[in-house]
Amino acid sequence: MIRLEQVTRYYGNTIAVNELSLEVSQGEVCVLIGPSGCGKTTTLRMVNRLIEPTAGHIFINGQDNSQIKPERLRQSIGYAIQSVGLFPHMTVAANIATVPELLHWEKSRIASRIEELLILVGLNPAEYARKYPNQLSGGEAQRVGVARALAADPPILLMDEPFGAVDPLTRERLQSQFARIQQKLKKTTILVTHDLDEAIRLADRIAIMASGKLVQYDTPETILSRPANKFVHDFVGTDRALKRLSRISIQSVIKPSPAIVMDVSIEEAVSVIGSRPSVWVVADDGRFIGWVDMTSLSAATSVREAIVPGDVDEIAITASATLREALSRMLGQGLRNIPVVDEKKHFIGEVTLSDVEAVTAETAETGA
Amino acid sequence: MIRRFISRDSVALVGSIIGLSSVLPGWLTLKPSRIVAGTSLRLWQSSDWEGSTVILGLWLLCFVLSLLRGSKLSALMLGTAANLIIIVTFLLAGLVASNLLEGAAPSARVSLGAGIWMTLGGAYVVIFAARQRLPDSPLWRNLVSWAGLAALGVLLTIGWLGNLSILQEFSGREERFVQELLQHLFLFGSSVAAGTVLGILLGIRAARSTGAAGPIFFISNITQTIPSLALFGLLIAPLSALSFAFPVLREFGIRGVGVAPAIMALIVYSLLPVVRNTYVGFHQLDPGVIDAGRGMGMSRGNIFRKLEVPLAAPLILEGVRTAAVQSVGLTAVTALIGAGGLGWFIFQGLGQAAADLILLGAIPIIVLALLVDAVMRAIITLATPKGLGVGKQ
Repeated sequence: MIRLEQVTRYYGNTIAVNELSLEVSQGEVCVLIGPSGCGKTTTLRMVNRLIEPTAGHIFINGQDNSQIKPERLRQSIGYAIQSVGLFPHMTVAANIATVPELLHWEKSRIASRIEELLILVGLNPAEYARKYPNQLSGGEAQRVGVARALAADPPILLMDEPFGAVDPLTRERLQSQFARIQQKLKKTTILVTHDLDEAIRLADRIAIMASGKLVQYDTPETILSRPANKFVHDFVGTDRALKRLSRISIQSVIKPSPAIVMDVSIEEAVSVIGSRPSVWVVADDGRFIGWVDMTSLSAATSVREAIVPGDVDEIAITASATLREALSRMLGQGLRNIPVVDEKKHFIGEVTLSDVEAVTAETAETGA
Repeated sequence: MIRRFISRDSVALVGSIIGLSSVLPGWLTLKPSRIVAGTSLRLWQSSDWEGSTVILGLWLLCFVLSLLRGSKLSALMLGTAANLIIIVTFLLAGLVASNLLEGAAPSARVSLGAGIWMTLGGAYVVIFAARQRLPDSPLWRNLVSWAGLAALGVLLTIGWLGNLSILQEFSGREERFVQELLQHLFLFGSSVAAGTVLGILLGIRAARSTGAAGPIFFISNITQTIPSLALFGLLIAPLSALSFAFPVLREFGIRGVGVAPAIMALIVYSLLPVVRNTYVGFHQLDPGVIDAGRGMGMSRGNIFRKLEVPLAAPLILEGVRTAAVQSVGLTAVTALIGAGGLGWFIFQGLGQAAADLILLGAIPIIVLALLVDAVMRAIITLATPKGLGVGKQ
């Protein structure tokens, strides 16, 4: 889908990209990563001809991109950047409409597309369409930036640190949202980042670059388990076993677990607990509320009174989370088991520390 | 307890004190002829006691009201009182001038004295203070700001003030006045228009290439520091040489003195604010915005039209406003090299030591400057894209 052949770019006498060859297959996310100045952004910007290569060729769907008029090429490629670059004098809707308008779409088609995209990135169209960029938070602005890049439904997406300028928590949310969107849309994507966790999380393949050269280009699993050389080994760090956990979904370790509603009697609760340390409490509609254990029950006159309330956002994880998130949640909260909820915060089951450990040991063995 | 009520509005207080002390100097001067020094009349000498009492009473009211800060109502009352002072002052001045001149020699003149100017000054300080406290009601703000001036306009049209010396200078010179006013508008308008076009082009050039920025700013900074008279003088030699070398140029009005050097000098002066603001306007654009536009496939023209121009417009127009207001005043000087304009009255008045003739030129220039300023501010507000004005929520 995107093929770089022996691409070289000089700036004066310094070489930014050195005979780089790379192929990104249809629907895959390729993450370019490396220390700053390694040429990753230059590489990205050569794909849509914001920078012209000094030598070499870049093929988009088999067509040499130097044969396509730059404006037309760029209109067919989604583009999102770290500073977002939303046009401050235009509403969110007008920002998203930029490329469709350059392509002379009909008004009604543009309008329905804006609505569709805002819903896709999780912003309420009625509330956000008419806002101006300076009325948005950093995370909202970056979501609008992604929506704008997707506006004309381009088959290719170029992203230069698209989740860079926000706090870590927001970044994590934006990443998982992007992963979800990508699963649905299957855009051929090149994403530049300096955040290895982001790369491992989002990439189908990671391209590690150093001084303008491609050092290793492989799946995150292979890069973590079999670094090609000392540079990659050092770059991924000593905690690569831990990093690999973020490639593994908790799906396989979710266990059904008993849960009680608030109205049961203390005796009933005690019988459900049995030999377990505690039992989860849910509302009548299945929403997660907290837990009870023997200590809290012994001091209480009713189950309702004994509930240790848990903030669902702090202790529970969703079914789409990774083992790494589960582990960090457990360590952070000091819990041996944590509840799993669906998107509406309804209780699904639980994940226990011993199960996570088992999978970790397994991957450590299969890895080199 | 009392301190809570007596929290004062210091600006209005200053205005009131100026107003109260305006009763000390003379309000009107009766002169046997337009250039002879005359006798100065205080407020109570120039009007009967009712008029003096009304003005003094209104000033005392302003004084008390400016001690009681607080409600919108008190600001509104303050503004109303100040406007009433202006209206009553002019009513009195017109009336008294007619009385004084009755039976006097035809060469006798009644001119406005320091007291009236102080009262008007004080009143506008109070009006400014009152206006600041009425920020959310544009109707009242405008009413408070303009009511006095509107009343003055009415009094002028119905001839109530016809016996004041400044209007007597005007009468008999109506044609000349209109002619010089139009000339003034032409000189300032054409030079600001040309300076704006040229300034924007140079500003964009400077913003686009660092090589050009140096010389462009060097030249426009230097010219700005040359005194206007010196610049006119500098232009006389080359222009007259030019017109002697190519006499055909004279048919287009290009001579050492007159309109050509005046307009050229005025263009040069209006250049710097426009160039500088255009440069800053284009230079301060977020590079991410331009990069995003390019990356999405906008052409150079698209980026210029849809991103750069609307985002830089407020700053550029701010430069045009500075240039325009400054040019209204500078145009007065062009009368010295025979280009005409309202400055003609000022220099005639200076030559004849006729203060009222000076005012006949100076006051319209001030009014014109204020008007140009107000119009440009309105244009800037209209041209500022909405997203740049709205605050964070």
